[in-house]
Amino acid sequence: MLRNVNDAEDVVQEIFVDIWKNAERFDPSQSSETTFVAMIARRRIIDRIRYSARRISPDSIEDVLAEPASRGDQTLQTSIEANEAAKVLNELRPEQRQVLQLSIVHGLSHQEISDATGMPLGTVKTHARRGILQARELLGLGTIETTKEVSV
Amino acid sequence: MNENMQEVMLDLLCKKAEYGLSEHEEQQLSVLQSSAGTGDLSTSFELATATLAMADLDTSEEMPEHLRSRIVADAEKYFKANPTVPEPTTRGSIFGWLGWAVAAAACVALALNLYLTRPPTNVVNRPGTPTPTPEQKLTPSQMRQALILSAPDLARATLGAGEINALKPTGDIVWSDSKQAGYVRLSGLPRNDPSKETYQLWIVAENQDPKTPVDGGTFDISSDGEIIIPIDAKVKVQNPQVFAITIEKPGGVVVSKNKHAAVGKRET
Repeated sequence: MLRNVNDAEDVVQEIFVDIWKNAERFDPSQSSETTFVAMIARRRIIDRIRYSARRISPDSIEDVLAEPASRGDQTLQTSIEANEAAKVLNELRPEQRQVLQLSIVHGLSHQEISDATGMPLGTVKTHARRGILQARELLGLGTIETTKEVSV
Repeated sequence: MNENMQEVMLDLLCKKAEYGLSEHEEQQLSVLQSSAGTGDLSTSFELATATLAMADLDTSEEMPEHLRSRIVADAEKYFKANPTVPEPTTRGSIFGWLGWAVAAAACVALALNLYLTRPPTNVVNRPGTPTPTPEQKLTPSQMRQALILSAPDLARATLGAGEINALKPTGDIVWSDSKQAGYVRLSGLPRNDPSKETYQLWIVAENQDPKTPVDGGTFDISSDGEIIIPIDAKVKVQNPQVFAITIEKPGGVVVSKNKHAAVGKRET
């Protein structure tokens, strides 16, 4: 992703404006304020990345893979949301967890995850999709069945 | 809606939550959701990925003061132009706003950490950018970079394996005599159990007997990958020549008799 302090600070400013603009859309029955804000932040960051089309360099993928699977046992988890996220990740199958950590936390594309892990691209996509659907269900945001029912 | 269209819709929802969609894909998703009569499902998918993104979130970093000032100025401008913007919570008490304050802090942490903790750890400054001052609560990586940019007498050493064959550390050290400050950038040494042992840095300098090098401070390694540690020299260091890291008992020692886990000679 972007690695420039100035870019990071600019995007933080933009995120705050987005939060103020979207505040009235917040639904406390769906998520906590923190998660809502994190969603707004991710949207803005994704927009920035798509706009600038910058990706992390391939040589950094090994570094990402070398990181511990989760820093959940460290002091980094200071919020209820971080604990909830760790709990949900732990409920997923290891392959799903690995793929989602690489894509959502580290920003790798499915192709990059496939190259780095040796999993076929289709398998990466399947793990990502099933993992997101299961996480959504575990968080009470909807069920796979509901999605299917309403979409028929 | 047939099964194939439903699969495409789910793929787009997941893709949007992971990486975002192009304009064309957004239109496609909108059409599919209308056709399915689902309403907009994307928020629930985005909330799921946003939650997962917080699993590794480091919220310990405080917002730099200059950034806080910019955001406060933005807020004044925004709310002046939009006086009818509703409060972001219906709870109607200060505790409602507290949640948003915490959330905003998490947002800052998310944005800053996504950028600044990603490899590589170096910080890029635009030409002409003033050197950050320590008052801005910079990360060790940023402070190291600031020292490199500002110290006129920078000493550098490359760290490599010492006398413990099993350990293959890599890294480097920068040190400034005039600022009496420096940083160790290190990877390849194993995590230590702080209750049993600690790492300790030693500096062989011109002003000190080589048999009793300067204590450069102790540190623990709690994660894999690269770490940056500020040097905490206990006495003044002049013209350092060799840096070494040993493994000692918790709290460190005054004089080490242990083998070097990593060592590096001054190059510049």
